[in-house]
Amino acid sequence: MSHTVAVSNMSKWFGNKVAVSEVTVGFSPGVTGLLGPNGAGKTTLMRVVAGLQVPSQGSISVLGEDPRANPDIYSKLVLVPEDEAIYERMTGRAFITLAAQLSGVDDVARRVQQILETVELVDAADRNLGGFSKGMRQRAKVAAALVSEPEVLLLDEPLNGADPVQRASLIALFRRLGAEGRTVIVSSHVLIEVERMTDQVVAMVDGRLAAVGDIADIRAAMSDKPRQVFVESMDPRGLGAALLGVDGVVGVRVDEGRLTLETSDAVSLAKRLPHIAVEGGFEVSRVEPVDESLESVFRYLVEGE
Amino acid sequence: MRYLTAHLYRRLMTRGRIIGLTALASVPALVFVLIGFDEQPDQIRNLYVETVTSAGYTFAIAALVVAGATLREERDGGTLPYIYMRPVSRSSIAVSSLVAGMGGALTIGLLGWIATVLGGLLIGAGPSVTLPGLGLFASTATGYGAIFVPLGYLFSRSLLIGLGYIIVLETILAFAITGLAQLSIWRIGLSIYGSYEEFGVGARESLGPIAAGAGGGLAKLGIVLVLGWGVLTWALRRRDAL
Repeated sequence: MSHTVAVSNMSKWFGNKVAVSEVTVGFSPGVTGLLGPNGAGKTTLMRVVAGLQVPSQGSISVLGEDPRANPDIYSKLVLVPEDEAIYERMTGRAFITLAAQLSGVDDVARRVQQILETVELVDAADRNLGGFSKGMRQRAKVAAALVSEPEVLLLDEPLNGADPVQRASLIALFRRLGAEGRTVIVSSHVLIEVERMTDQVVAMVDGRLAAVGDIADIRAAMSDKPRQVFVESMDPRGLGAALLGVDGVVGVRVDEGRLTLETSDAVSLAKRLPHIAVEGGFEVSRVEPVDESLESVFRYLVEGE
Repeated sequence: MRYLTAHLYRRLMTRGRIIGLTALASVPALVFVLIGFDEQPDQIRNLYVETVTSAGYTFAIAALVVAGATLREERDGGTLPYIYMRPVSRSSIAVSSLVAGMGGALTIGLLGWIATVLGGLLIGAGPSVTLPGLGLFASTATGYGAIFVPLGYLFSRSLLIGLGYIIVLETILAFAITGLAQLSIWRIGLSIYGSYEEFGVGARESLGPIAAGAGGGLAKLGIVLVLGWGVLTWALRRRDAL
């Protein structure tokens, strides 16, 4: 699939500080999670892609255009910034109306009402943004971004401050936008929420690209990190001892009656485990990978654990 | 473009800013009233001209504060992306910003001028005395807007730099170095004002080596406007927006 957003050998530095270093990555339609610890360069990458900052090196292409060279692209490209900056003395409705007017939206009043309903801000629409909670501000910013029906959305920590119900609603909205064929790039430090949105991630560490792709594929590519598999059995010690000789099993741990295997060859283990259990008369009630979640993958990437 | 201009202008014109800057721009009116009480009627026109041409510098500071804030406030407040990331050409954003900044300065200038009209009425000076002063405020508001809007966008310390321009260049260096007087917006405004109003000794001193004349003054204002628009468009295209 062709990339709607292409970042090519891009670096951005501020004086002596390198914020993003030689990043080459492409984003396709659908939702992509942009992950990284604080200071990893996620926000800078988003700002450069958005055309708000000039890359020190390399190039950016959004829908085939350089956003800094062609402002018309902003009818299709939007950014919801992370910071709380907003027009405090403006009402929610006026804020979204301004966004619609500047974007040349037809039938502004109808569209604004429609988007207010989408983000569930109708009741608060005529209050000043200064009196909005953090979550409401986020939703107002999302509404202002969506009012022009963009094809590429850059969402920098869009769930910050939102309560659980609002989070679920926004996650569903982002998934729907991705399913509609829009390119939705979401940065978040709440990994479990990214996992609920997408399997596709781009991970950054110290300004560099650490991993790109499907979470399962990234985990599979970590050949130096044996997979951990939890096995529930009535006799964890006996089963653990029986599995020690199996090809690819590099470690067996029994803690408080819980058997955890470390294997460099999960496929081989999956084939052999049922046979060994039957042959040894071990009852196995559950087999579950321990470190294939986004959180585990991310921890490996960031900490090298 | 009109939506952006209206938005920027509304954002500039806060109640506190209008009150504070109108007070500053009304200093000439206050001076005019204080020293004009005992003045003979035949001297009142000359006194008005002397007052606005000398004490009018306070308007320059008010224009700096209001015009300089046009895009600086958006940058400092982190709201610039809401304007920048819209399908509006950079040159159009520059035009809107300049119009809003100049409009803000003009509004303050107009209020300062109204204060001189009201002050004049208190001491028996009719509108025929004070009306011509409007041209000075209008022309300098335009010139200062063209300089201070880009300055505000480019520099976080634009207020300090602007004060340096007004105090050091316009009031000190422009007197000492003839060539620099051509760079003074205040004198460009005075040259236009002086083209239709009779200047006394004090007003002529304020004008310095610049000749009074509307044509030259308007041409210089036009050049300043084009330069201001060009610099701002360049900065919006080439510099980080955050």
